[in-house]
Amino acid sequence: MSPPASEQPPSRRAFFELTFGWLAATFAVVASSVAAVKFLTPNVLYEPSLRFKAGRPGDYADGSVTFLEDERVFIVRQGNTYRCLSAICTHLGCTVNRAGAGYHCPCHGSVFNAQGQVEGGPAPRALEWFLVTLSKDNRLLVDKTERVAADKYLVL
Amino acid sequence: MDGSMRKFYGGFTALGLLVGVLVIVAYYRDQHREWMIYQRRYLQEEVRRAATPPQRVLAERTPIQIRQILLPELGRVDRCTTCHLAVEDPSYGGYPQPLAYHPLHDQHPFDRFGCTICHRGQGRATTVAAAHGHVPHWDAPMLPLKYTEASCGQCHQAADNPAAPALARGEQVFEASGCRGCHKLGGVGGVVGPDLDKVGARRSPEWLKAHFLAPATVTPGSGMPPQKFSAPDLEAITLFMLSQTGETVPGFYASMKVIPSAAVGRRLFQQKGCIGCHSLNGQGGKIGPALDDVGLRRSPEWMVAHFRDPQAVSPGTVMPRFGFTEGEARALTDFLLHLRDQQVALSLPSLMGPVERGREVFRTYGCIGCHGPDGKGGVPNPNAKTAEQVPALTYVADGYTKAELAKRILGGQRDITPLDPKRPPPPLYMPAWGGIIKEAEVDDLVAYLFSLKPKGEDLGF
Amino acid sequence: MNAPLPKRLWQWFVRSRVGRSVFRVGLPESNLERSQAMVSSFLLHLQPAKVSRHALKAGTTLGLGLISLYLFLILIGTGLLLMFYYVPSTDRAYDAMKDLQFVVSAGLVVRNMHRWAAHLMVLFVLLHLCRVFFTGAYKRPREFNWLIGTALFLLTLGLSFTGYLLPWDQLAFWAITVGTNIAGYAPVVGPRLKFLLLGGNVVGQEALIRFYALHVIVLPAVAGLLVAIHLWRVRKDGGLSRPDEPADLVEQVEQSRLPTNKTYGLMELARGTTPLVGRNPEDDVFSWPHLVFREVLLFLAVVAVVMFLAVFWNAPLEQVANPVHPPNPAKAPWYFLGLQELVSYSAFWGGVVVPGLLVAVLVLLPYLDRGRAGVGRWFARERVVANTVFALCLAAAIVLTVIGSLFRGPNWSWQVPWQPPPAAGGEP
Repeated sequence: MSPPASEQPPSRRAFFELTFGWLAATFAVVASSVAAVKFLTPNVLYEPSLRFKAGRPGDYADGSVTFLEDERVFIVRQGNTYRCLSAICTHLGCTVNRAGAGYHCPCHGSVFNAQGQVEGGPAPRALEWFLVTLSKDNRLLVDKTERVAADKYLVL
Repeated sequence: MDGSMRKFYGGFTALGLLVGVLVIVAYYRDQHREWMIYQRRYLQEEVRRAATPPQRVLAERTPIQIRQILLPELGRVDRCTTCHLAVEDPSYGGYPQPLAYHPLHDQHPFDRFGCTICHRGQGRATTVAAAHGHVPHWDAPMLPLKYTEASCGQCHQAADNPAAPALARGEQVFEASGCRGCHKLGGVGGVVGPDLDKVGARRSPEWLKAHFLAPATVTPGSGMPPQKFSAPDLEAITLFMLSQTGETVPGFYASMKVIPSAAVGRRLFQQKGCIGCHSLNGQGGKIGPALDDVGLRRSPEWMVAHFRDPQAVSPGTVMPRFGFTEGEARALTDFLLHLRDQQVALSLPSLMGPVERGREVFRTYGCIGCHGPDGKGGVPNPNAKTAEQVPALTYVADGYTKAELAKRILGGQRDITPLDPKRPPPPLYMPAWGGIIKEAEVDDLVAYLFSLKPKGEDLGF
Repeated sequence: MNAPLPKRLWQWFVRSRVGRSVFRVGLPESNLERSQAMVSSFLLHLQPAKVSRHALKAGTTLGLGLISLYLFLILIGTGLLLMFYYVPSTDRAYDAMKDLQFVVSAGLVVRNMHRWAAHLMVLFVLLHLCRVFFTGAYKRPREFNWLIGTALFLLTLGLSFTGYLLPWDQLAFWAITVGTNIAGYAPVVGPRLKFLLLGGNVVGQEALIRFYALHVIVLPAVAGLLVAIHLWRVRKDGGLSRPDEPADLVEQVEQSRLPTNKTYGLMELARGTTPLVGRNPEDDVFSWPHLVFREVLLFLAVVAVVMFLAVFWNAPLEQVANPVHPPNPAKAPWYFLGLQELVSYSAFWGGVVVPGLLVAVLVLLPYLDRGRAGVGRWFARERVVANTVFALCLAAAIVLTVIGSLFRGPNWSWQVPWQPPPAAGGEP
C-alpha cells in the first residue's frame, strides 16, 4: 500500500483517465436506461390490431350498419359503398349504441346523427371515420390509424 | 503519483469500457434480428413494384416490426407473417420463400386460422430455425409439406373431407388393418398396444413409417406384427396417424367438423336409425313418410330447418329433435336430394342379418389385426404355443358353444401359453372386450364367427 | 491548478445551491471532508469513515460478500424488469418466456442476466460463508452476524429455488417436483411443508403462484432486511475481523458501552467501537477514496462478468411443462444435486439427517467453537481441526454435487459426463 501521501489530488493524466472512465461508465448507465425503456416498450400488442380485415364486402347487406365488437367500429354499407365509423364517443371514450338512424352514448348522453356529427350532449367532436380499402385478397381492410372525411367511401 | 490511485483509474476506465462494449453488443444484436432482414427485403421489393407515388410512399413508410396473428381461441400466436409477408398477395405467386404467395386461403383466412394450426412449427418464434421448429426442446416441428393434409383431421372428420383424400384413405387403411384390435383410438379399441390418441404429436413421419414396416427396429421389444402396406397405403396411414394429435379445437373451429356432403348424410342416416320410422325403396319403418322422393316435395331450406328442429316447420310432428348441427343438417339434406337424382343402394344395419352385422363388428374393433382377414389367422406371435401365431378362428364353431365364445371374447385371455417357457412370453394376447364391444354386437360377432366354418354346416339361426 | 472542464463543471454544480442540498459535502478535498462525505451520504454511511489497511487488502475477504450483495442488486434490477412481462399462470408463463426471447427488446439478455446472477449468487454466498469460516470471523462478538449470514445463505437457496419454477418449462417443473419431494422427506414437518409450499399435492397453478409470491416479494423483502442488518452488524461488531483485534473490543461491543475516554465527536456518537479504538491510526486510511473506489471497481467488474455471460450464453428453456412426460433423469437445481445424490442412497439419511445436521451445525457453530485463537487469519494453525473438518464437508458436498450433476444419467445410473441427452422415451 502507498503511504498517506495518496491523499494528494491526482495528477492531470490520471484525471483524464478518470474522466474517460466516467464517460464510459456514464455511457453504460445511460445505455442501460435506454435499454430498460426499450425493454418496457412493447414490440407486439395483444389487443385487436389497428389495421384489420372486416370480412368480405358481400358479408354486409345493402343499407346495413354492422357493429364489430372487438374493434369497436361500425361498418356502414350503402349500395356499393363502404365506410367505417368509430364507435368510441369523442367525449370520454365510451362505446356508443345505435339509436334510430344515429348513435347515442349511454355514459353522458351524447347524440350523434348518421354522419357521426354531434346533435346533442357533451361530445366535443363528431365520431371519427376510418379509411376503408380493399385488401389484395378482396376483403375490407380498415385502418384505424388513418382518419378520413365522412364523405370518403370505398366504392366497389 | 500514487500507484494505487493509478491502478484504480486504469481499472475504472477498462471496466467502464468493457461494460459499454457489452451494452453495444447486446444492442446491436437486438437491432439486427434475423426477421428484419426479410422484412427489409420485402419492403424494398414493394418500393420497387410501386406503380404510383402514393403506393411508393406507403411502402416506404411501412414500419419494420413484428407482425402476428392472434388466435386466442386456439391458444396460439403466429408470427410467421413477420417474414412470410406476401402470403395473401397473389401478385407474389411463384416468388421464392419467404415471400411466396400462399394460395387456398379463401376458406381458411389467415387472420382467423393463422399458420401453425396446419403447418405446425413454433408460432411465437422469430428466427427461422426456431419458428420452423427444428431446434432442441420444441416438439412440434413443421410438418413436411406432403403431410400437411394430416392437419385437416384436427378440425374435420377424416372421411368426410373431399379436399383430403389421402387422409380419408389413411383412415380406411387404419380401420381395415385392424389396428383397433390392439390400440385404442378415441376410446375404442384393444389394450395390447398403447393408445394412439396423441401419437401424431409425438412421432415424426419417418418414425411412423419405420414403425409400421418393422416395429422392433424403432421400439425394441415391440410385439407388434410388421405391416405389409403398399407404398400409397403406408403414406396414407402415416398421414392419418399424424392427424391424431389429441389437440381439441374449440368453438368455431369445432363447428367445422362435418363438411356437409351426401356421404356424410348417408352415414348419419344410418347411424341415427332414420330407417326405423322412414322407408327407402320400400324398406324401413312406416311411422314417418317414405323419403324416396322427398327432394321433389320439399325445398333444401325446409329440409335443413326440419332437421335442426322438426317442430319449427312441422308443428305437431312426432319426429324427435336429434340435435343435428347446421353442418349435419345440410349433409342429411344433401343425401336426400342426392336420392332424387339417382337411386342409392343402401346397406343399412337394421336391414342386415346378424352375420353381416357381425362382420361389421369384426371389422370395427380391429379383430382382423391379429386374427387375419375373415379370421384366417397367419399373424405372427413369437413364442406362442399355437405355432407362434395368433390362432385362426375358422373352426371356433367346433370348439365353443355360442355362450362360451361370447364369454371368451368379453373376458379375454391375458396369458398366452408359451412354446418355450424360457423365452420371453408372446407379446400379443386377447384383450377383454367386455365394456368395449356392446352386448348386442357380441351376439352378432359370435354369429359371424360361427359362420366362418366352411360350407355345409348348420349355422344355427 | 487549472482543473479540466468536467471537474470544474462538477465543482460548480456541487457548490451551487442545488448541489449542496443534494451532496452536502461534494467531492472531498480535506480529511475532514472525507469523513463528512461518508457519514453525510445515505449510500455511504453504512461504511466507516476510516478503514484499516488490513480490511482493504484483497486477500482479506476476496470481496466475496460485496460480490454477493452486487449480484443481489443486479437480481433486483433485472427481476423488476422481468416482472413487467411475466404472468404467473400455467397458461401464460411459458409464453411470456418465449416472448422475452423472441419479441421483447433485450428481453433475452435481461433474462440471461437474471439467471446467471442467480447462479453466481448461490456460488458467491457459499464462498463468502467459506471465507468467514476459514478466517474464523464468526467468533465473538460476531456470532449473531454469522447466524444472519446463515439465514441469508438459506434465503439465497430459497430465492433461487422458487425462481427456478417460474419459466414453467420441463426443466423447471421437474426440478421443483424433485426438489419439493426431497423436502417432503423431512420428518414430521416434511409432508406438511411440501403441501404448504405447493398449495396441493403436485406442482400446478397453485404452486406457481405461491412460488411467484415468495420469489418476488416475500423472500427478497426478508433477504433485503437481513442484508441491511448484516452490514450494520459488521460495523457495530467492530468492522472486519483482524488478527490484532484488541482484547477489550469484545467487551465493548457486547456491553454497548460508549467509550469514556473520548469526546463524543463526529464519529463517536454511535454505539460500540469507533474506528480509532484500540488501533494504531497509522494502520487506517480514509474510506473515501480507498474503500469507495474499490467498491465501485468491484461493482463494475461484477456487472461486466454477468453481462458477458448473459450476452454469450443463453438461459435454458425446454419444452412447456408436461406432468405426463418426466425427463429421465429428472434433476433438482444444481445446488441441490448433492442432496439428490444422497437421497438416492437413503431417503432418511440423505434427505433428513445430513441436511438437518448441516444446518444445525452452521447455526450453532459460533456458540460451540468459542476459542479466540486464529481470528482474522486464513487457515490459522490454531484452527487446523475445525478448518480440516469444514474442508472435508465442503469437499464431500462438491463431490456429491459433481456426481449428481455430471455423472448421473437416465434412471440415476452412472454415465460418462456430457452425454447427449437420450432421445425422448420409447413407447409411452
